[in-house]
Amino acid sequence: MIPELLINILITTVPLMLIFATLFAFTTWLERKALARIQNRIGPNKVGIPCTRIGLFGLGQPAADGIKMIFKENIVPRGADRLFHLLAPILALIPAMLVLCFLPLDFPWVNEDSVKAYLLDGAVIFFFAITGLNTLAVFMAGWASRNKYSLLGGMRAVAQMVSYEIPLVLSAVIVVMMVGSLNAAEIAGVQMRENWFVFSPWGFAAFVIFFIAALAETNRSPFDLPEAESEIIAGYFTEYSGFKFALFFLGEYIAMFAISGLAVTLFLGGGDGPGVTLDQGLPTEAFPGLAVIWFLMKIFALIAMMIWLRGTLPRLRVDQLMGFAWKFMLPLSILNILVAGFAWHAERLGNTYITVTTWVISLAILYGAASGLNQLNRGKVRPREYKYAE
Amino acid sequence: MSILGGGIFKGMAVTLRNFVGSYINKKERLPTNDYSWRADGALPQGIGDYPKEKGEQLSDTTTVTEYSRNFPMLLHDGGEPMDTVRCVACQICERECPPQCIYIEKDYDENGKYIKRPAVFDIDVSVCMSCQICVEVCPFDAIVMNSQFELSTPDRFGGLLVRRDDLLKSNDYYHQIHPEEAAARDQKMAVEKAAKEAKKKAAAEKAKAAAEKKAAEAAKEEAE
Repeated sequence: MIPELLINILITTVPLMLIFATLFAFTTWLERKALARIQNRIGPNKVGIPCTRIGLFGLGQPAADGIKMIFKENIVPRGADRLFHLLAPILALIPAMLVLCFLPLDFPWVNEDSVKAYLLDGAVIFFFAITGLNTLAVFMAGWASRNKYSLLGGMRAVAQMVSYEIPLVLSAVIVVMMVGSLNAAEIAGVQMRENWFVFSPWGFAAFVIFFIAALAETNRSPFDLPEAESEIIAGYFTEYSGFKFALFFLGEYIAMFAISGLAVTLFLGGGDGPGVTLDQGLPTEAFPGLAVIWFLMKIFALIAMMIWLRGTLPRLRVDQLMGFAWKFMLPLSILNILVAGFAWHAERLGNTYITVTTWVISLAILYGAASGLNQLNRGKVRPREYKYAE
Repeated sequence: MSILGGGIFKGMAVTLRNFVGSYINKKERLPTNDYSWRADGALPQGIGDYPKEKGEQLSDTTTVTEYSRNFPMLLHDGGEPMDTVRCVACQICERECPPQCIYIEKDYDENGKYIKRPAVFDIDVSVCMSCQICVEVCPFDAIVMNSQFELSTPDRFGGLLVRRDDLLKSNDYYHQIHPEEAAARDQKMAVEKAAKEAKKKAAAEKAKAAAEKKAAEAAKEEAE
């Protein structure tokens, strides 16, 4: 019995780890290429097949990076807390890996007996609970390094991640309200049957808030203050080298995948797409695994968006970052919950006229509130006065 | 009233234009990797590739673009470098250099008289940030940017300090690496020289006229 259970667990977890680790390698290459093109460079193009001059567009770069990381010296600063210095990167990776199992990915090799964590009632809650551990890992790294830059980075990370967790969860609450379930598969299924949540005023607003908060949660640009190179060297992983650094890096990207996956589940219809149809209320695919492909492609679309934003936006100041979370995102997401609540009741009436009116009104309210909050927060900034320059 | 978040979309449009343009219009969007300006039109193997082995020669002056600049050099007008060096050791560049990587000492002859040239002119490669401010401030067009970029050395201390004699390059070399810029600079210098001479001439004429006037007045006084 127990070996069977073990096999059933491994069938679902091992492919997940392998797929996302491979995607991580590919994403680092993609990110470097895209950023290079944005900045009028070519990007990695040398590392291809060893001992030849075949570049393969630098696709060998992730492998080369990995080999370099493994063979680098593991340096622990004198006076650092060796145990926590070692534990921090592991703790950064584990929650990110763990939450991947809450994404409703129906792999073709998964059968009735396989353990499916996403069918858990409360998968979304679990997702947020476990992702919250990441903050601890980051602060642990900052604290254990015995380096002022690391500590500063850790402090910044804690402040930022705790602040942005609130709008993140509050925008996810809207979807949970609409579906009436915390089950990830149920949430994706409802969108397959009805409409993607992103295609409604409150859903779109929630998606935008969720995406921005997700950027901050994963310490991505323009919210990459914890690892701001120009200010505090590398932030909380200043004192990390070799494979420990690689683990941090891996954890960061896996967290990106996980949170994008959650965004796809909550707002972008999960595995829904052309070729995936409903047959008597159950999803049927044109060929096995199509829904998974759609899901991964949507994740990649979000990752591409993150890379694009990283290439575009400069880093925020600390006060701007905090102000944005507490003065803009939080009120807006609370208002959005109210709007969504009223809209849910209005849509229950089943009257097309009322539904359309609700859409228009909620769109106006949300846009008005966003502009109003923007104006309110903008008020204190005066145009710069030049004393000496013309 | 502008659209909320409009600035972000504007910025994203710019980066998108760069991204897509780098595949379509290489000349405009990947300027450092474009070799089409070369007279023979030949591309070095793999556009923008840096040579893997040493003998492959990419760092010669023909493979870098007109306006590439990396490190300053001192110009002389040909012949024996120290005889025709344009630098007069005025030390303006030394004072203006933001990272303070230039060190100059004036040259004196055996009588202790200042002769207008530098005895010592050192630039620290490890400190220089290639900002070109020394070029901007030089009133004598004596210091310009070189496009030589292979400045690495196994010697961490002495090797990174470039001495006067290594900095000295002829104006012909400048014309060879940056033809447009050198021609413009020569023209500018000629115009300045002509203006200076005209001014000198005018001053001389004025002095002459003043002297004549004075003489006339003196004659007038005498007559009275």
